[in-house]
Amino acid sequence: MSEPTAPSEPAASPEPVASPGPVAPEPVAPEPDSARSGPGRVLVAIYALFALAASARAGVQIATKYGDAPVAYLLSAFAGLVYILATVTLGVGSPLARRIAVLSCSVELVGVLAVGTWSVADPATFPDATVWSGYGSGYGFVPLVLPVFGLLWLRRLSKRA
Amino acid sequence: MNGVVPTTVIVAGLVLAGYAGVTTARNRRMEVDLLVALGVLEVLVLVLVGLIVAKLAGGARPAGLGTLIGYLIAMPVVPVAAGFWGLLERSRWGPAVIVVAGLVAAVLVVRLHQIWPVIHV
Repeated sequence: MSEPTAPSEPAASPEPVASPGPVAPEPVAPEPDSARSGPGRVLVAIYALFALAASARAGVQIATKYGDAPVAYLLSAFAGLVYILATVTLGVGSPLARRIAVLSCSVELVGVLAVGTWSVADPATFPDATVWSGYGSGYGFVPLVLPVFGLLWLRRLSKRA
Repeated sequence: MNGVVPTTVIVAGLVLAGYAGVTTARNRRMEVDLLVALGVLEVLVLVLVGLIVAKLAGGARPAGLGTLIGYLIAMPVVPVAAGFWGLLERSRWGPAVIVVAGLVAAVLVVRLHQIWPVIHV
């Protein structure tokens, strides 16, 4: 993704789609800060995606072939729950939710590092992959990067608050 | 099935991601152009899903049927969700979410091919 440099000239807004109330001038100034708007939105979107992917995958695997790799599937399910928690708390953005979000992002980071190391050291336990095995290599290492961005974002929010 | 439709979906997703990325970089919110582009991607995805459902109806079965069905449900949701997100998030970060959606659409097609290689990419 490109790093924008916040241009200051006002943009023409030929056809504002669904702007309730008075039309805000464009471009939109640096947003006030919760994960509910601004760059946090992108994080929430990616978290939502991983929440869906991890829990759906775990659901299918546990339902159809639990015996093949129980450890891997249970870890997938756990990862799914952590992603759901992180998605919701990042989206809500209240002080309490933010604290829970910090916790779930931390659990996630520890999880991806621990499970990643475990899966490399002991591949026999992981005949089938989880979201976190190989440090998230099956998902382009996004699971490894995501909690870092999440924690950085949350830290920035709490500094401004 | 030949690979035209899946390839088109991948290219469309990547082009959409690029265009939405430029929109974000220029600090513009989502306008009608991005919404139309999302609509085009949605139609292409639905064509792909239709082709796969036709193959399933014809009696062919992949190894991971449950996973495949999950993909068939999830794939059409992505552009729609991104569209609503762009409508609600009236800043440059709406298009940034659309960048993610375009990339995800492309990745999903590639993974779909890994689940069921009969659909050539």
